[in-house]
Amino acid sequence: MTTGQLALVDGSKIIIEALAQSGADVFVGYPITPSNWTYKYAKQRMPLFLAAPDEISTLQWMAGLSATGKIPVTSSAFPGIALMVESINMAYAMELPMVIVITQRLGPSTGSATTGAQGDLMFLKGIISGGYPVPVFSPSCFEDAWTLSNKAVETAIKYRTPVFLLTSKEMVMYRKSFDLGRLKPLQKHTHQRQITGEFKPYKPEANDTPAFVPLGDDEFSTRFTASTHDQDGNIRKADPEAMANTKRLRKKFIRNIDDLFAYEWIKSGPSAKTLILTWGITTDAAKDAIKILTRDGKNVDLLVLKTLLPVHQKLYDWLDDYDKIIIAEENLTGQLKEILFGERAPGKVTGVNKIGMMITPGEIVEAVLS
Amino acid sequence: MIETKEKILTGKKFPFCPGCGHGISINQLAKVLEDLGYKPEDIVIVSDIGCSGLIDPLFATHTIHGLHGRSPALGLGVAMGLEQKPGKKTIAFIGDGGATIGLQHILEDARRNVDMTLILLNNLLYGMTGGQISGLSTRKYKEIIDFEKDIPPFDVVKLAYASGARYAVRVNNPKNIKEKIRKAIETEGFSLVEIASLCPSYGMKKLPELMAVADDEEEFENNRPPTHIVSKERNSLFDRERYFSPEFEAHAGKRTGILIAGSAGGGVQSVGAFMAQAAMLSGMQATMKGEYPITVGTGFSVAEVIADKNEINYTGLDNPDIAVIVTEDGLEKVKHRITADTKVYLDEKLTGKIDFSYKKLIIKPFHALVNRKSAALLAVAYVLKKEQLFPLEALKKVLSDHRLKDIFLDTVARVEELE
Ligand code: SF4
Repeated sequence: MTTGQLALVDGSKIIIEALAQSGADVFVGYPITPSNWTYKYAKQRMPLFLAAPDEISTLQWMAGLSATGKIPVTSSAFPGIALMVESINMAYAMELPMVIVITQRLGPSTGSATTGAQGDLMFLKGIISGGYPVPVFSPSCFEDAWTLSNKAVETAIKYRTPVFLLTSKEMVMYRKSFDLGRLKPLQKHTHQRQITGEFKPYKPEANDTPAFVPLGDDEFSTRFTASTHDQDGNIRKADPEAMANTKRLRKKFIRNIDDLFAYEWIKSGPSAKTLILTWGITTDAAKDAIKILTRDGKNVDLLVLKTLLPVHQKLYDWLDDYDKIIIAEENLTGQLKEILFGERAPGKVTGVNKIGMMITPGEIVEAVLS
Repeated sequence: MIETKEKILTGKKFPFCPGCGHGISINQLAKVLEDLGYKPEDIVIVSDIGCSGLIDPLFATHTIHGLHGRSPALGLGVAMGLEQKPGKKTIAFIGDGGATIGLQHILEDARRNVDMTLILLNNLLYGMTGGQISGLSTRKYKEIIDFEKDIPPFDVVKLAYASGARYAVRVNNPKNIKEKIRKAIETEGFSLVEIASLCPSYGMKKLPELMAVADDEEEFENNRPPTHIVSKERNSLFDRERYFSPEFEAHAGKRTGILIAGSAGGGVQSVGAFMAQAAMLSGMQATMKGEYPITVGTGFSVAEVIADKNEINYTGLDNPDIAVIVTEDGLEKVKHRITADTKVYLDEKLTGKIDFSYKKLIIKPFHALVNRKSAALLAVAYVLKKEQLFPLEALKKVLSDHRLKDIFLDTVARVEELE
């Protein structure tokens, strides 16, 4: 049953190894807890490792490197990510591929650096001025850490975009016995140059995304800009071509959402009318809760969302089929719940929420039974 | 010299107000690049925000237009990315306002000394937003406008030099601009050219006025080779992973959670990992979590280990089955987590420190037998022997591959003295 590769590993190691195998080739970072181990492993593994003097520089260097064709990665927690926000918007508008690993910890502010949390989803929902979506993948287990890291690199390149990998302290600084042989070799992703007709830096090609031509290219001179721009990459005020380009930043994700969407739906049988919906680190407790409920003869389904943003509309159709929905996440207000349903969720939806400690299987069971 | 020079500029009309000084520097740069035989594809112009940031459409080169004050950082990213492409040149522009907000980026560029040039157009003020002063507004200029005149400007040229820039220069006289830009472009490493620039709309309208209020010209060179950025493929992190094939038989079947509580320097984290690995050698699944203060060299150190014959999902340890407590720091940290079901293994020296009764308490003189670095290991070895979770031999096997195996195995052997 095992492959002889049972090791005591943590999610940080799996994420960094997966990112490197997937084609990420430079890590730029500023140290922060609980990104300590992603930083450490990146230093051992990435072809190029750069210790930036702060988080703004981190993102700026990444943007510059990305514009020359590199696939940069960083890892940080909210205090660091907050400093990066303007630069993330810049990279988003320039359409630069990069992967940003967030190791969530308890906020607000400095909060508690070594306490896990799932408190940054709402922040990511609104991180781009204007409300444009950024892909957010959240691993719920080590297999996810492996495959979603690959998907993050793939998405970053394919849609020319920053991508978030939303983890938690417990995922990245907890060691667990794990058979590394279960991880399948990953496909390495690289820029593909497909240009139809004349080259323009921001002319949409496949997937509503412009072809990527790096700075320093010998064939074409290219332009990247964070200001509102036309297809040539020249700054424009709100003229129709520029507005179409800006709207495309959203459209490329919404039109291709099937490609971005990842989830795991564990059905207990055809008749289940109760659903536990969760993401990230709370998935472990939810899986144990399902075990307990199944043992007690209760039919409850489990839906683990791995692509948190943008929200896929078909999720609502799925949720319509349940009479009772428990959304479990380690934050105070139920951020996924609020993203899905606003400040007033329908009566059939209950949140299991907690800060400062992981949600336990028992707490989820209790919510299902109440 | 090449025969036909390729045009560096697009020929688009400059966007600046009449008489603005920025155009002079841009024309001079273009001339230098053409003289040196650069093709547009060899050049990356990095710009940011402000009047000096309106330049990207003027260049037929590669361009990247980013955020206010960040062009030195964005440019460094570009320059590092182009390191493996010989013949490419990164040139970033910034204004004095940008240099104020992004000062640290300039110092960082200077310190790193990767090949790039930063052209700082200093018109002594923020033109785009209406003429507010910047960190580079000179005292003479501020005397004219009677504001903050006692506060000196940053001497960015000197600061860059002090931070390690290969070349840093301030030019006030337009006649010297071309020569200094050329020297900067020809410098391999980080070069900074600060150029006094007219802003007829808000600042100095005539060249003699500008030259009268600008800080003195200065020029510095560091005899220092440029930094090269080298990428290299590295081995998989899994290559050096230690694998644990079950070779012992676990006694415990159900999930068992163990708290190991001690102090920094007591090897608690290592012992936690050893225990988890020994469980794995015994065919169990295991998790290990460490908790310690951010100042890792002092205070408590707690390790949580869970071992289970079945798959472990939830990794919380809400109700520890066993607590191993070897120091007072550790006791303070975990005492509230002890429940009626928890079996507590306590170091003898802590006997007087507990003012409450544990239902299941075993007191042993771990510290009396070994030093503070080894007490946690001895205690865990003792627990394994008494609790029969999995064989003590599994722990010994884990330790036998460690570089400190002699000390460790010696410690474990002393478990016999604890009866
Ligand atoms: S405001 Fe001043 S700096 Fe800006 S374009 Fe006009 S003259 Fe030049």
